[in-house]
Amino acid sequence: MAFALQVLMNALSLGSLYALAALGIGLLFGVLKLINFAHGDFITVGAYALIVPSAATQATLMIGDFHPLILIPCIVAVVVILALIAEFLVFRPLRSASPATLMIGSFALGFVIQNILIMIYGGRPKAVGIWSDLSLGVELMEGVEVPKLQLIIIGVTLVLMVVLVLFLTKTKYGVHMRAAAEDFRMARMLGIEANRVIMLAVAISGMLAAAVSMLFVVQTGILEFRMGVSLMLFAFIATVIGGMGSLVGAVVGGFAVGAVSILLQTFLPSEMRVFRDVFVFAIVIFILLVRPQGLVMSRASRERV
Amino acid sequence: MEPKTPLGHMVREVWPLIILSVGLLLVVAIIQSLDDRIISQSLTEGLIRLVVVIGLYIFIGNSGLISFGHIGFMMIGAYATAWQTMDPMTKDIFVPGLPGYLLANSHHWLVATIIGGLVAAIAAFISGLAMMRLSGIAASIGTFALFMSFYSLYLQWSTWTAGQSSLVGIPVTTTPWVAFWFCIVAMIGAFVYSRSKFGLALRASREDEVAAKAAGVDVTGERVISFTISAFFVGMAGGLYGHFLGLLTVDTFYLPMTFITLSMLVVGGMQSLSGAVVGTIILSLVIELLRKAEKGVDMGGTNISLPASSAEVGLGVILLLILIFRPTGFTRNAEIYWPFKPKVAVTEVTHRQS
Amino acid sequence: MLEVKDLEVRYGRLTALRGINLSIKEGEIACIVGPNGAGKSTTLLSISSVLNPTAGTITFDGQQINGTRPEDVARMGVSQVPEGRHIFTSLTVEENLQVGTATRRDKPEMKRDYERVIETFPILGERRRQSAGKLSGGEQQMLAIGRALMTSPRFMTIDEPSLGLAPKIVDRVYEVLIDLRKSRGLTLLIVEQSSERALKAADTLYVLRNGAIQLAGKASELQDGKAVHKAYFGFSDDHEGEVMI
Ligand SMILES: Nc1ncnc2c1ncn2[C@@H]1O[C@H](COP(=O)(O)OP(=O)(O)OP(=O)(O)O)[C@@H](O)[C@H]1O
Ligand SMILES: [Mg+2]
Repeated sequence: MAFALQVLMNALSLGSLYALAALGIGLLFGVLKLINFAHGDFITVGAYALIVPSAATQATLMIGDFHPLILIPCIVAVVVILALIAEFLVFRPLRSASPATLMIGSFALGFVIQNILIMIYGGRPKAVGIWSDLSLGVELMEGVEVPKLQLIIIGVTLVLMVVLVLFLTKTKYGVHMRAAAEDFRMARMLGIEANRVIMLAVAISGMLAAAVSMLFVVQTGILEFRMGVSLMLFAFIATVIGGMGSLVGAVVGGFAVGAVSILLQTFLPSEMRVFRDVFVFAIVIFILLVRPQGLVMSRASRERV
Repeated sequence: MEPKTPLGHMVREVWPLIILSVGLLLVVAIIQSLDDRIISQSLTEGLIRLVVVIGLYIFIGNSGLISFGHIGFMMIGAYATAWQTMDPMTKDIFVPGLPGYLLANSHHWLVATIIGGLVAAIAAFISGLAMMRLSGIAASIGTFALFMSFYSLYLQWSTWTAGQSSLVGIPVTTTPWVAFWFCIVAMIGAFVYSRSKFGLALRASREDEVAAKAAGVDVTGERVISFTISAFFVGMAGGLYGHFLGLLTVDTFYLPMTFITLSMLVVGGMQSLSGAVVGTIILSLVIELLRKAEKGVDMGGTNISLPASSAEVGLGVILLLILIFRPTGFTRNAEIYWPFKPKVAVTEVTHRQS
Repeated sequence: MLEVKDLEVRYGRLTALRGINLSIKEGEIACIVGPNGAGKSTTLLSISSVLNPTAGTITFDGQQINGTRPEDVARMGVSQVPEGRHIFTSLTVEENLQVGTATRRDKPEMKRDYERVIETFPILGERRRQSAGKLSGGEQQMLAIGRALMTSPRFMTIDEPSLGLAPKIVDRVYEVLIDLRKSRGLTLLIVEQSSERALKAADTLYVLRNGAIQLAGKASELQDGKAVHKAYFGFSDDHEGEVMI
C-alpha cells in the first residue's frame, strides 16, 4: 500500500511536468497549428535565467537568489518575452506557411537557442541548488514519505490547470482563443484580432514553460543546454497520444506518459531499466497505431457535417 | 533546340542527373587538386552528408512528410558496418556482445557498407509498417520518437555499441572518391525511384492524400517503400561515415546531425534532387567558412574569431531566412532544366535565378 | 452601400471570378444564384476579405475592403454566414453568440441584441449551455445567423442558407431574413443555388456562372423564368420553359 502510494506520487509528479509542457505545446498547436519544437528550449532558457550568464563551470545564482515572489515573475517574464520574440521574428513571418514549414522553422529556432546558450554559458552541465530544502521528505501517512517537491509540482500543476480552464471558459479572451483554435478563419470573420489571440496564446505557452523550468530545475538541480529537449519530446508524445488539438488530451497524454515511465522504472528488472525510454517510445508507437486520432478525440474531429 | 535522336531524348530525360554528376565531379576534382589534407577531409564529410541528404530527399521529397528519424538509420548503418569491418581483436574488447560469427569474421568494407545499408533498410521497413500509417505532423512526431528510441537504445546497449564511450579501431577507408561514387549511386537511385511508378504514386499522395487513395494508391505501402529505400542510402552513408572518422560515438547521431542534414535539404528545395545537391553544397561551404571564422583569422597580429557554436547559430538563422523568404528553397523545388528547350524552359530558368 | 468592381479572384492557376460587378444599395436584399463552382462562395469570401482579389476593387460605404484583414471588414459592419456555417462546435451556443460580439464595447446593446436573437430563435435560448456541435443542422444554421447578427452588422452576406435544411425550416429562415431588413434596416446579400426562393425574397438578382455575371436585374422584372434559366445554364430550354430552377 505504502509502496503503491509512493509509485503513484512519482507517476503523478512526473506526469504533471509532462502535462504542463504538453499544455504549452497543445495551446500553440490549437491556435497556430504549430508544433513548437522550440518549446523545450523555452523551458531551458527559463532555467538558465536563474544564473549569471558566464561560461564558468561553477554556476553563480543571479535571479535564482531572489526571493521567490520576485524570482517567479522574473523567470516568467524572461520566458514570455523570449516566446514573444519568437512569435515576432519567426512564427509571424511564417504565418501563411504550411504546418510542415512552421515545424521546421521552430526546429531551427530551437537549434539556434540551444547554440546561443552554449555560446553564453558553455556546453557543460552545471549544478544549481535552489530551494534545495524542498527535496526533503514529508510524511503523508505512516511509512509513506515523499519529497515536498513532488507535492508542490502536483499542486502547482493543478492550480495552473484550474486557472487555465477558468481563463478559457469564463473570460472573453479565453472564449475567443477557443473559437480561434477551432476555426481561425471564422473567428477572424467575426472580428477577432488574429494577432492578438496568437500573442496571448504564445504568452500563456511561455508562462507554462516557465513554470516547468522552475519545477524541473529544482527537481534535477542541473542545468544542461538540452535539458528541455527530452522533456519536450515526452510532451510532444503526450499531445499526440492525447489527440492533437485537444487540451484535455494533452493533460491525459502527459499523465499517461508519466505513468508509463514510472511503472517501467519501477517494475522493469534492473538490468533492463536503462532501456526504459526505449520501452516508453515503443508503447507510444503502439498507442499511435491503435488509436492514430489520439486517446481523447478532439472536438474538431468530431464535428458534425 | 529540341533533341531529335533517341539518344538525344535519353540525354534529355536524365539531364538533371547528368548535370548534377558532372557538377559534383568538377567540385571534387577541383578541391582534390588543391592537395590539402584538411580541405579534402571536409570534402569527404560533405559528400557523405550529401548521401544522407539524397536519402532524405527520397522520402521527404516524394512523400511530403518530414522525417526527424533518418539519422537513426544512419546510426544503425554505421554500427552495422563497423561490426563487420573492425579487427576481430578489437571487437573482443569493445563490443563483446556481438554474435560469434561477427566476432570471428570481417568483411570487405564495400560489402560491409552495403549490408549496413540493408540492415538500416530492414529497420526502416519494420518501423515504417507501423509509422507510415500516420499522416502529416503525427508522422513527423512519430519519426522523432522512433529516432529517440534508437538513440537511447544504442546509448545503453554497450556490449554492442560501446555505449557512451567510443567505438574505435574502425579501418579508415572512405576517401573523397569513394564518397563521390556513393553520391553518384545515391543520385541515380533517387532519380530512378522518383521517376518510377512508385515515386509517381507517392508524389500523387503528397499533393492530395485523399484523392490518391481514391485513385487506388496504397499510400501507406508507397510510403513504406520510400522510407525503406531512403533508409538504405542513409544507412550506407552511416557506414561511410564510420569508415571516415575511424571511430563511432552514439552522440554523433543526434540532433545536430539531424538538423544539419534537414537544413541542407530544405535550403536547397525539399522536393527536388537538385535541391538536395545544391543545398548540401551551399551549406557545406557556409559551415566551413563559419568554422574557420570560429577558429579565428589573423588580422594585423590580433586573432579575431567568432564564438564557439557560431556555425550552428548561423546555420539556424540561414534556414529560418530561407523558410521565411524562399520556402521552396534555392531551386524552388525544381530540377535543373534541359537548357536547350526553346522559350518556356528559358523563362523558367531566368525566373529561378531572379 | 457595397460596390464590387471588375473583381477577379484566382486559386493558383484557376480563375474563379473573371471580373464581376455588383452594386448593392442600402436596405435591399440582393441575391446571387448560380450552379456549383460558379464562384458564389468566392465572391462572399472576397467581400469578407478572406480571399485577396488579383484585380478589381470592393468598397463598402466608400471604404476599400480589398487589402484589409477579415477582422477589419467585420469592424466595418460586414458580417457573413459562410457556406458550411462554421459553428464553433467545441463552444456552447451562448459562447458562439458571445464570439459574435468580439468587436463591440456597448454592453447594454449587446445584451439587447442577445435577447433579440433568442427571441427570433427560441431554440437557441433553450440550448444555451449546450455544446453547439450537438445542434441539428437547422439549429446550427440559426446559430450561425444569430452569431452574425450579434456583430450588429449593417450588411450581412449569407451563403446558401437553405443547404441541407427541410423546406419548412428554409421558409422560417427566409422569414427571419426578410424580417431583419424590416426591423433593422439590414442590407442582405444572399447566395443560393436555386433561384426559386431567392427570387421571392430578393429585390435584385444576379446570375453567376463560370465566374462571370450572366444576368443582373430587378427581381420583379425577372419573374419570367426563361431569361434566368438561360443565364443559369448557358442555354435556353424551350420545352421546359416553365420549370423553375
Ligand atoms: N480553396 C480553393 N482552392 C482551389 N480552388 C477553389 C477553392 N475554392 C473554390 N475553388 C474553385 O473555384 C471555383 C468557384 O468556387 P466557389 O466555391 O466560389 O463556387 P460556388 O459557386 O460557391 O459553388 P457551390 O454552389 O458548389 O458552393 C470552383 O471551380 C472551385 O473549384
Ligand atoms: Mg459555394
